Amino acid sequence: MAKAFGIVNTSGNHIWVEGMQDYRPIGAFSFLGRYRVVDFPISNMSNSGIDRIQVFAGSNPRSLIEHLGIGRHYNINSKRGKLQILFADNHSKNDIYNTDIAAFAENMDSIQKMKEEYVVIAPSYMIFTQDFDVLLKEHIDTGADITLLYHSVHDATTNCLNCAYLSLNRQNGVLALAKNRGDEAERDIFMDTYVMKKELFIELINKARRLSSMYTLSQIINIECEELDVRGYKHEGYFAAITNFKSYYDANLSLIKYEDTKDLFDEDWPIFTRTNDSCPTHYFDTAEIKQSVISNGCIIEGTVINSIIGRGCVIKKGTVIKNSLILPNSYIEEGIHVENYVVGKHSKVLHCKELVADAETPGYVRRGDTL
Amino acid sequence: MKQNNMLAMILAGGRGSRLHDLTNKVAKPAVSYGGKYRIVDFPLSNCANSGVDIVGVLTQYESILLNSYVAAGRRWGLDAKNSGVFVLPPREKADADLDVYRGTADAISQNIDFIDTYDPEYVLILSGDHIYKMDYAEMLAHHKENNADATIAVIGVPIEEASRFGIMNTNETGRIIEFEEKPPVPKSNLASMGIYIFNWKLLRQMLVEDMVNESSHHDFGKDIIPRLLNDGRNLYAYNFKGYWKDVGTIDSLWEANMDLLDDKNELDLGDSAWKIYTEDVTTLPQYVGANASIKRAYITQGCVIDGEVKNSVLFTGAKVGANAKVLDSVLMPNAVVEDGAVINRALIADGVRIGKGAVVGSPDSEHIELVANDVEGVK
Repeated sequence: MAKAFGIVNTSGNHIWVEGMQDYRPIGAFSFLGRYRVVDFPISNMSNSGIDRIQVFAGSNPRSLIEHLGIGRHYNINSKRGKLQILFADNHSKNDIYNTDIAAFAENMDSIQKMKEEYVVIAPSYMIFTQDFDVLLKEHIDTGADITLLYHSVHDATTNCLNCAYLSLNRQNGVLALAKNRGDEAERDIFMDTYVMKKELFIELINKARRLSSMYTLSQIINIECEELDVRGYKHEGYFAAITNFKSYYDANLSLIKYEDTKDLFDEDWPIFTRTNDSCPTHYFDTAEIKQSVISNGCIIEGTVINSIIGRGCVIKKGTVIKNSLILPNSYIEEGIHVENYVVGKHSKVLHCKELVADAETPGYVRRGDTL
Repeated sequence: MKQNNMLAMILAGGRGSRLHDLTNKVAKPAVSYGGKYRIVDFPLSNCANSGVDIVGVLTQYESILLNSYVAAGRRWGLDAKNSGVFVLPPREKADADLDVYRGTADAISQNIDFIDTYDPEYVLILSGDHIYKMDYAEMLAHHKENNADATIAVIGVPIEEASRFGIMNTNETGRIIEFEEKPPVPKSNLASMGIYIFNWKLLRQMLVEDMVNESSHHDFGKDIIPRLLNDGRNLYAYNFKGYWKDVGTIDSLWEANMDLLDDKNELDLGDSAWKIYTEDVTTLPQYVGANASIKRAYITQGCVIDGEVKNSVLFTGAKVGANAKVLDSVLMPNAVVEDGAVINRALIADGVRIGKGAVVGSPDSEHIELVANDVEGVK
C-alpha cells in the first residue's frame, strides 16, 4: 500500500481506567497475558502494508516506549519503514487541554514531513483487527473526504461508555458524532479510526486550534459533517473498547475460549509483540488448569480456572485463581483464594488469604504491591 | 571481540544419524528441544551471555535451515558493531579446491583465513549439539590463570560410565597428563565435553601442520590433543559443574526433555540472569480448555490443550484434542494429537498428526517410539 502513513492515537481525556492508568497509557496495558493493547493497531498497520507509523505516547509513557523500542518486532522494514514515538508537552492526566489535537499541533512538523498522500488514524485503547488497505481503497472508491470505521453493538447501555457513536443516513453518510452515555442499547460505535488525505487532516488540526483549545479530532469532524463528505465503514469481527476498569477485565476474559479467538486472531494476520525470551511454563504435579490462557515463563503448582495468567507468574500450591487476570511477573503464595480480581504487574500476594470480589465489580491489586 | 579477545567456532556439521528421521532434513544442532528452543541456541546464547561476540558456525550436513537460522545473529543479540554470527560451510577458495570438512580439526583449518581476519588471542571450540549453560569467560579466566596453551572443559561422570567418554587424567593442579579415548579401565571420571580454549597462534601452527599430515584424522580428540600432550604443552582441565547433555539418540533426547519436568531441574531455563535466546515466533499464548488436565508438564506458547497431558513436554503450536492422552511423551512443534488419541512414551516429530482415537507407543516399552509420519485415526 504505502499510500498512507499511520498514526496511533492516545485514548483522550474522556476515558480513564481507574487504578491501572495511573501507571501507563492504555496502549501499554497487558492484554491476554502476552500482548499489550498497542500491539493491535500497530500490527493492523504493519499487516496492511503501512510501514511509517507515528505513535503518540500519552502520559507516563515509560513502559509503552520500552515495549515499542524501534519497532522491529512489528515486522516493519527497518530501512524504508519507521516507527516514530511522538510526545506532547502537556501530558497531565484528565486535563481539559490535553487533547489529541493539541498533541498533533505540537508535532505538526513530523506530520507534515510524511510523504504519503493519506493518513490512517487508529486508537490505542481498542482491540480489533482491520485491513486498513481495504479501508483505504473503499475511501478512495467512494470519493469521501473522511471515512470513519464503526462497529454496531447491541449492549451500548453498558459497553463502550464515553466512546463516540455515529448517526448514519442510509447511504452510510455520517450526520453527527455524539458521546455514548449508555441511554440506548443499539449504537454504531465509532472506533476512533479515520482515513483522510494528509492535507485535510492538517487543515482540520489548524481549524480546531482556531476554534477552541478543548476540541478533539472527533469533535471537529462532527462540526464539519455538514460541509464534508464523511462516511462510515462498518467493521466486522471481534471488537472491544477499553474505556474503564470493568471493560478491560471483560475484554480479556471474553477471549478465554480458544473457539472465541477465531474472530480476532488469524494466522494470516499475525499480532506481533515484543519477545521477552521467557522459557516455557512449568506445570507441577499439583497443578489443576481449566479453561484458561497461560503465558510462558510461569511456574504453576496450584489451581487456575477461567483465568488469564501473564508472563513469568508463580502460582503456588493450594492456591486457587478463578475468573481473574494475573498480570505479568506476579507471585501468588500458597493457599490463597483469588476470585474476580485483576492482580497488577510485579505484585506479590503473600499474607492476604482471600482476594474475592463481586463478578460485576472486579477487584484490583495495584502494580508492584505486596499484600 | 574487544571484550575478551576470544572468538568462538561452533562445530555444527554433524548429521546425528542416531536421531533417525528427526535429522533427515535438518542437522542435529537444529533439532528442537525444551519446548521452544533448538539445540544450537545453547552454545550461541552461552556465547552471547559470556561476552563472546564473534561466532563462526561450521555447517555441513543438511545445512539450509541451520544456515538461515544461525545467520540471524540478532536473536542472540550478536549483531552489534564488531559482533556477528558467521555461517561457515565448506567453500572453494583461490588456493584450494572445494572439499568437505574431513574432521573437527579440518573444519577449523579450512577457516584459518576467517579467524585471522579478527586476529584473536584465543579461540574457543564448541559443539553445536550439547545442552548446557556455561560461562566461557570464567573458563578463559581459568585458562589465563594457569598460563595454559589449551584448556579443556571436563565434567565428572559416574565412573562405571566413564569408558564411554574421552577421559582426562590430571595431576593435583588440574594439569592434564594423559588423555584416553573410551578407556576400558578408566583412571578418572573426568570426561571431555568437547569444549576447548586454545591460544590461537599455537593452534594455527598445529592446524597448518595437521592439514598436510596424511595419517591424521584431522580430529581434535584423536590428533590435536594427543599431539599437544606429546609435545609437553600446558593443557589444563576446567572442571564444569552443572547440567550437560549430549543428545545422541531418541532416548536421550526424550530424557533431556523429561529432565525439565523435575521441580528443581538443574538446567533452570527460567534463570533471568542466563537466558537462552531463540527464534521469536508469533503465536497465541497457551490455551487450556474446559476438559483439560495438566500435571507435570513443560508447555510453551501456541499450544492448545483440551485433553490430558502428564509428564510431557509440548513444543510451540502442539495441539491435544478432547479426551486425548499424552503421557510421558514429547510433542515437537505443531504436532497434533486429535480427540481420543493416546500417546505413551513417544516422541512425535514436527507437524505430525495423530488421528482420532489412534494409540501410539506403549507405557512399558524399553525405548521411546519416534513417530515421524502421520498416524491415521480409528474410524
